Amino acid sequence: MDEKTVRNIRTAILLLFVFTVIGLLIYSRVMAYSLAPTMKPADFHGLAIWEIPIAYLIDYFSHGWICLLFAFVAAGLVYEFVPKEAITKYMGSGKIAGYGLALGMAPFLTVCSCTMVPLFAGVLFAGAGIGPAITFLLMAPAANILSILLTGELISWELAGVRIIVSVVVALTAGIIISKTPWGKAVEKEHQLNVPAGQASVEVVKPPLDERLWASLKFAAYLAKQILPFFLVGLIAVGYVEAYLPQDIVGTYLTGVTGVLLASVIGGPLYTPTLVEIVLGRGMYELGMSKGALLSWLMGQPYDVANALAVSRIAKWKVVLTYMFIAWAGSVIFGLLYGFLSGSL
Amino acid sequence: MKEVKVEVIGPEPPCMRCQAAKKAVEKAAERLKQSEIKVEIQKANVMSKEIVGKYGVLVSPAIAINNTVKIMGRVPSEGEIEKLIRETAK
Repeated sequence: MDEKTVRNIRTAILLLFVFTVIGLLIYSRVMAYSLAPTMKPADFHGLAIWEIPIAYLIDYFSHGWICLLFAFVAAGLVYEFVPKEAITKYMGSGKIAGYGLALGMAPFLTVCSCTMVPLFAGVLFAGAGIGPAITFLLMAPAANILSILLTGELISWELAGVRIIVSVVVALTAGIIISKTPWGKAVEKEHQLNVPAGQASVEVVKPPLDERLWASLKFAAYLAKQILPFFLVGLIAVGYVEAYLPQDIVGTYLTGVTGVLLASVIGGPLYTPTLVEIVLGRGMYELGMSKGALLSWLMGQPYDVANALAVSRIAKWKVVLTYMFIAWAGSVIFGLLYGFLSGSL
Repeated sequence: MKEVKVEVIGPEPPCMRCQAAKKAVEKAAERLKQSEIKVEIQKANVMSKEIVGKYGVLVSPAIAINNTVKIMGRVPSEGEIEKLIRETAK
């Protein structure tokens, strides 16, 4: 067989796999088959301590594997095929293009946390300004493709949609506000390069389709390897939370205005880029947390400490504190608003 | 003997995927020794002003061969790098 035939066969096999995964998800939809855990808090009564995580994990994986497989494969494909050159080409070209790209590209690019802070620095140095850089930084973890897919599958697509809209609004507001503050401007001035960023020397080569498909599946596996161990620990924790946390405590403290405030404060430090907050949020929602509080719980991520530390090495602490405050205020305001509008505060 | 400069561009401290990219480049360089091509590997910081000034915003890991970014945001195979270096050295 010549090389071309081999490539075609490989492409066909890989495409078949990808379409099977998509097909499985559609099939589960058509059959109205739940991909989320079905155990209710009451089901845990009477189980021994060691039985709880096992029962919960079995319950989760008997439904959730399709959803997880799809989420990781989709994230891998999107990351591989999203035109990364667009960032290189247009990010330095102006404020509006900068904001647009930051909002449009961040969700697809940053399933891997190691790309986020470098891109923040790059955007800032290249002269797009601190505004788009901050927008990018906040948009990335709040609405990346993996967390949106899982929010949709595990909690509800309504909430996933709201999460995207609120992320856009908060990220944009934070970017614009910071670019107007004196300390934001100072950082911008300090880091702006005097020479226009050189673009002539980027000629990205595109490998053939079979290699790109294979690379995207490999990236999906890499993501899974990074995230799944934490996700498992999170699931076990959620099993215990559902089993032991009394419903009246959740009902009392995680509803109403207090609920939104409390959820926004707990959600932040809990955030790990590992999707645990989605499972845990779902668990709390099962136990009676209001929808408003659930939204601010999920929106707590942008003030994640590890990222803030990395960013503070480039931008000043004042900038970091400002965007953390705006992200927190946004999660509270929109939590209240969503709770009020959806009738579940 | 031809010389080719390969820059592996990633964050500092390096992330896992950038280390994988660097390893692939090292292996390719090892193979190319026999074909009279000397590969000089440099590690560059994606978060430095020199690199952004030189190449613009990059998605890491990125690999530049003789000052041209050829690979961005993915880990290539050693075979692919070997081919790219050969093409450049021609």
